[in-house]
Amino acid sequence: MVEPTSLQLITKARAIANGQRVVALLPTSDADQTVATVKQYGPDEILVLADDRFAAATDTEIADGLYQVVEQVQPNSMLIPATVVGRSVAPRLQAKLQTGLTADCLDVYFDGETLVQVKPTYGDDIMCEIICADRRPQMATVRPNVFQAEPAQTATQVTNVDFEFHPEAHIKMEKPTPIISSSANISDASVVIALGRGADNPQLIEKAQKLAARLGGMVGVSRPLTDHAEFGHESQIGQSGQSIAPDLLINFGISGATQYLVGIENAKTIVSVNTDPDAPIFTKSDYAYVGDANDFMDALMARVK
Amino acid sequence: MENQEKMAASMLHRMVREFTENELAPLDMEIDAQGDYPQGLFQKVIDNGLLTMTLPREYGGAGFSYDSVAKAIHLMAIGNASMAVTLEGHFKTLEQLLKYGDQRLKDEYLTSAAHRIFAFSQTESSGGSNPRGIATRAVKSGDDWIITGDKIMITNGGLAQVYCVLAKTEDDQMAVFVVDQDMPGFSFGKREDFIGLRGTPVGEIVMDHIKVPGYHLLGQIGQGLEIGNNAHDDARILMGAVLTGIMEHELQIAVDYSKQRKALDTPLYELQTIQEKISEIAIARQNTELLYQHAAQLKITGQSYAQVAAMAKSYGSRSAVRCGDMALQVLAGYGYSREYPIEHLIRDARAMEIAEGTVERMSGEIALKQVNQ
Amino acid sequence: MKIVVCIKQVPKSDSVKIDPKTNNMVRDNVEGVINPFDKNAIEEALRIKDQLGGEVILLSMGPDGYMSSLRDGLAMGADRAILLSSRAFGGADTLATGYPISQAIKKIGGVDLVLLGRQSVDADTGQVGPIVAEYLNVPQVTFAEELRFVDEHTLYGQRLLDGATQSVQVTLPAVVTVRSELNTPRYETPVNIQTSFEKPIDVWTEHDLDLDATRIGQAGSPTTVQKVYAPKREGRQTVQLSDDSATAVKELLARIRN
Repeated sequence: MVEPTSLQLITKARAIANGQRVVALLPTSDADQTVATVKQYGPDEILVLADDRFAAATDTEIADGLYQVVEQVQPNSMLIPATVVGRSVAPRLQAKLQTGLTADCLDVYFDGETLVQVKPTYGDDIMCEIICADRRPQMATVRPNVFQAEPAQTATQVTNVDFEFHPEAHIKMEKPTPIISSSANISDASVVIALGRGADNPQLIEKAQKLAARLGGMVGVSRPLTDHAEFGHESQIGQSGQSIAPDLLINFGISGATQYLVGIENAKTIVSVNTDPDAPIFTKSDYAYVGDANDFMDALMARVK
Repeated sequence: MENQEKMAASMLHRMVREFTENELAPLDMEIDAQGDYPQGLFQKVIDNGLLTMTLPREYGGAGFSYDSVAKAIHLMAIGNASMAVTLEGHFKTLEQLLKYGDQRLKDEYLTSAAHRIFAFSQTESSGGSNPRGIATRAVKSGDDWIITGDKIMITNGGLAQVYCVLAKTEDDQMAVFVVDQDMPGFSFGKREDFIGLRGTPVGEIVMDHIKVPGYHLLGQIGQGLEIGNNAHDDARILMGAVLTGIMEHELQIAVDYSKQRKALDTPLYELQTIQEKISEIAIARQNTELLYQHAAQLKITGQSYAQVAAMAKSYGSRSAVRCGDMALQVLAGYGYSREYPIEHLIRDARAMEIAEGTVERMSGEIALKQVNQ
Repeated sequence: MKIVVCIKQVPKSDSVKIDPKTNNMVRDNVEGVINPFDKNAIEEALRIKDQLGGEVILLSMGPDGYMSSLRDGLAMGADRAILLSSRAFGGADTLATGYPISQAIKKIGGVDLVLLGRQSVDADTGQVGPIVAEYLNVPQVTFAEELRFVDEHTLYGQRLLDGATQSVQVTLPAVVTVRSELNTPRYETPVNIQTSFEKPIDVWTEHDLDLDATRIGQAGSPTTVQKVYAPKREGRQTVQLSDDSATAVKELLARIRN
């Protein structure tokens, strides 16, 4: 399986390359499958570092393999996914190469042959443009899902690289184990249906649970509803409860007290439903529905299967 | 090094702020509802060394000055007035042992103040505010004293394990003795069910011919009232701090609400009547802070501080109740609702118009001091 | 067991602003605190010391103001602190930070474990740990959410990847970077706050270390910041949906599905 961000970066590289060759470096234990995937995104060349041990390699072992290839290929720039592994391997490689690396970029573009690396700092409060004027390669790790991967057709050259896998002493890494979240956390949910005092009745609560299930999300509550047996502190949203950052938050019967609002600041899209047109929640919402929670919930249920 | 003292105090205040925000404030309403500290909370307070802020280093304490500790109490009270008052009761008692205690007593008892609460008990069911009317007796027996009597309305009564007790000797002299819950003849009595500060236990102890060694006497025979008054003074400084914290919380709620809400299309904070209330609360809070801090400064520089301490408590408690009422009015319907903690803050503040000497008594003390100047 | 915890002082999050006139960061009067992830690293070091005995040494590189964070670390329970501070170190990027830090660790000598927070909340690079590991030529375990000593020399760890966990076993010496899930940092107790002033904070300049001058400071930094700006912040523009619930839902779904 190829890290999706790598594919996104191939597309991005092709977009900004302006005549330069886009080469994918692929350390892999399953060359056939991974090469086939990478090919679909149209890099000019794929350099395959094939070794079974890459299934459970240490950061150093990966960095070492890449180092050998980089020394051979001498690229102008390198883009690496800012995944956990990417962010662990890249600086190790950076130190071997004695070059510059900018982590967690939100954008990269060329100014001549200088790669301008745009990254947020202070928790996204401030943007920096960083360059590596003299050393090569210019390295950047890029945030997942900032760019979209687009399949492309090209005559991709596939080469098996001549390199030596140097096992690292004194450390043994196991294969990663995927996490299947059974007891999901509301602060991780990508969709949250939030219920407040105005939605505090058994029928609505039941509907909300159903709706949440359909949307692949969870039900959260403002403080008053934590009196219910099924909504404990872990379901409470707000200052004394959980902070959530879902892609979609739908508030039912929530007035929008400050203590609640601080828990939802980072939600991407906020939809609020309330009978009171002056409810403060509306000023913090992207979409406002002034009306009955039941009506809106029924209408939504009818459209979401 | 003056700079070191300042840095240390600032680190202390940051720690207390964080501890309060993370551990105490979230449980404030639950404590109010239950009328008790939840399991494990008090142990956390002990484990994080909060009981020995005032204690000198030689007894294993942190040795912070009284004004720094008062500020810490103020910061804690913003999030949880009950726990702040529990610490106040403990610290004011430790001050009396430090000032009047026999060295042997201090060596034996003070190191345990890290994990045991110390309390001061004067009031009895008979006496009310007049200490001379107490019935607790101390009878000399060789080098020891036999104490009999019962004390009510003790701050931390039931939670504390060591009690300073005001007693009368056979020749009608007032004296303070240190009594330990492990001593034979000691038992706990009734716990009060108060409308506020519901985490802070307030209760009764019963002493049935408890034998205490001679060195458990604080100061001299005849110094009992002086020590009792000193305990009040030390308490009142810290109560001023607690009240400042409560008013700070009331102010926060009123301000946040006024920013959030609109009357027709005007944000509340732009309305004059709201501005008046917010301004009054802010001024009262500032005044109380200045009073308690000044009283603390007088204490640590060895000057007379009883008057200013009395002012801090008297003015502070009246203000905190009045300001709570104003904040409630700012929130209107929501202020009257239990969804916001305003009414809880008023109930908490109300205690201090009574505890450690009623506001009426404060007026008497302050006025007579002015008259006798 | 000798543990070095590399820490960084960062601005308290709501204190950072851009001066709209100069487009530079406003640095005066910005309150500094220990990088939160570094607190987890200090806590872990203290737990290991509680369990296995040893010494916890804090190491940082920065201006004098960083001493307050080192003081805080000492107040948590660390034994001593070293601050690398000199004009010569100024303007350093991650490479020119990792180098003097690793030289300082070599000078301390006999270090079994180097702990860092997974990244700092200001620069968010997370690079210094692996760079130091590379310069010290030791294994690294990054983003650790669980750590356990199998025996005095062997550390078992669990990394949290994106959507997966990974177990690793490493023989010391090693460099480990930690996640906040690893532990809950202890408070500075009042007594420890006072005693922190009795513990040494040594300041080392470039003269105290064995250094190649071309690899420190601005000279040793391949990257430079060419521009800094505040991203445009849009408040939420509220879209009023139709009064009719069916229409409202239709409108909503159409918009959010785009």
